[in-house]
Amino acid sequence: MNNPVQKYIKYLHTLEDWILVGMLGGMISLATVQILLRNLFDTGIFWGDALLRIMVLWIALIGATVATRSNNHIRIDLVSRLLPPLIHRFATTLTFFFTSLVCIITAYYSVEFIRFEYEDQTIAFAQIPTWVCQSIIPIAFGLMALRFLLQGLLSLLGKDIPQGGL
Amino acid sequence: MIFAVGALVLLAFLGAPLFVVILAASILGFTSSEVDLSVIAIELYRITDTPILLALPLFTFAGYLLAEGKTSERLVGLSQAFLGWMPSGLAIVSFFTCAFFTAFTGASGVTIVAVGALLYPALKQEGYSDKFSLGLVTTSGSLGLLIPPSLPLILFAIIAQQMGFGEEVSIKDLFVAGLIPAALMILLLSLYSLWENKDAPISKQPFSWPHALATIKQARWEIPLPIFVLGGIYSGFFAISDAAAATVIYVIIMELFLYKEIPFHRLAHIMRDSMMMVGGILLILAVSLAFTNYLVDAEVPTKLFHLIQATIESKIAFLLLLNIILLALGAILDIFSALIIMIPLILPVAVGYGIDPIHLGIIFLANMQIGYFTPPVGMNLFIASYRFNKPILELYRATIPFMFVLLIALLLITFIPSLTLFFIR
Repeated sequence: MNNPVQKYIKYLHTLEDWILVGMLGGMISLATVQILLRNLFDTGIFWGDALLRIMVLWIALIGATVATRSNNHIRIDLVSRLLPPLIHRFATTLTFFFTSLVCIITAYYSVEFIRFEYEDQTIAFAQIPTWVCQSIIPIAFGLMALRFLLQGLLSLLGKDIPQGGL
Repeated sequence: MIFAVGALVLLAFLGAPLFVVILAASILGFTSSEVDLSVIAIELYRITDTPILLALPLFTFAGYLLAEGKTSERLVGLSQAFLGWMPSGLAIVSFFTCAFFTAFTGASGVTIVAVGALLYPALKQEGYSDKFSLGLVTTSGSLGLLIPPSLPLILFAIIAQQMGFGEEVSIKDLFVAGLIPAALMILLLSLYSLWENKDAPISKQPFSWPHALATIKQARWEIPLPIFVLGGIYSGFFAISDAAAATVIYVIIMELFLYKEIPFHRLAHIMRDSMMMVGGILLILAVSLAFTNYLVDAEVPTKLFHLIQATIESKIAFLLLLNIILLALGAILDIFSALIIMIPLILPVAVGYGIDPIHLGIIFLANMQIGYFTPPVGMNLFIASYRFNKPILELYRATIPFMFVLLIALLLITFIPSLTLFFIR
């Protein structure tokens, strides 16, 4: 792989990591503030709980996207260890391409869904429209699709996923 | 359709991520019943309707922090000082320590690595046989799944509530329900250890107050944690997600400022790694919501119930069959996916047979706990084999006696519902 590409992959990794860490940090702080406000002052941030629930979705999807870098997902994987190397490589490539396809389909239809929400202009919390909160769905699935596709290509060429992931 | 399902099963066994397999199954299902596929995105977004899900990332992060620090060492020291004087004392210490550690960190294999690795040499040094020690640490790696605030207990409650069993399956009740079954398992395992080692030349550690007080002092910041968290939950002062947030804050202060074991710059790494795991679990949960919706629309649980009822009439036969299926499942699938995929199918059927949903949850988790070290592919066997550098066949032999003990516990838990329901119904 050439250097500029590696550089952009690294930027992307750093960006994802910091969003993830920031989200978790924000979630811990907001949840704590809510507990304190509720128990000490019998009040709370009105949209706080809605925001926390949306943060769970974002953390889940970004976490899953980060896990995809080195294909670190929960799987069954009973058969592949028993296959001869060449067939194993073929099966792995097939699995990656299939996985990528399913992610693309999901990303495509979530864009459709968000377009409806955009036209409706519903509000999720405070002044934030719902479609903004949902936008992470196609972004995450799109990124995962891309990663799985690249991993499929690497597997086709008989190469390993590089250290630190894609 | 049959071809497509077959292809999906094959892809799953070839190692396609589970979330993709479930997602593909829902895409197939919705397409065949001509529902627009944007319904999948609607279902994915539905995880924002569930407030208790907040507890999952928070407890997971707290567990990762605890596993990173030296909590395991202090825990072993503390229980050894207080229980080490008993016959088979260290074995009993191991059961307690592992159960407690797993309850807080989740059964991800970290117990074997963090606690088992300390206990295994200590057990051998005190005169327990290699086979017994190895079997003990491997088996204990999943002990504690039934003890609050273990993540699988929380996840079971979340899924049951999603399915409309909310009133019957509160997390608080579930947290109480697991206690007697967990105690029963520890008791039976301890009795087995006494019997197995009755002739072994085991050195006992006499009890001494100064030593005991020293270990209390070392673990002074950890000891309040379970009291604070569980006390808060049982007394009704904390909701589950509040308890999770409080736990995280407590553990951060403890590890970063009081014990100063985790340097600041490690924090971002631990956050990222723990959230990768949360992402993996929640993604499967989210896509399962879509798939469950399809299953319910297609009336699969009802059909399944009638199908099973046509062949199996008695509740006892059903429970036996259930245990066999779950044991096999626990050996192949990881516990979170097993819960997420199987509960929507099994829970309505079990309720149809008159089984209490809470009882079902405890049976389910007890099976999963044993599945962790069921040959040939239980996850703990591989982790222990890797960690202790032992051939996998040796681990099969070492864990089998413990497995029989826990199977007896499982049968008791299954057929005496009051063990689970005594305090709540």
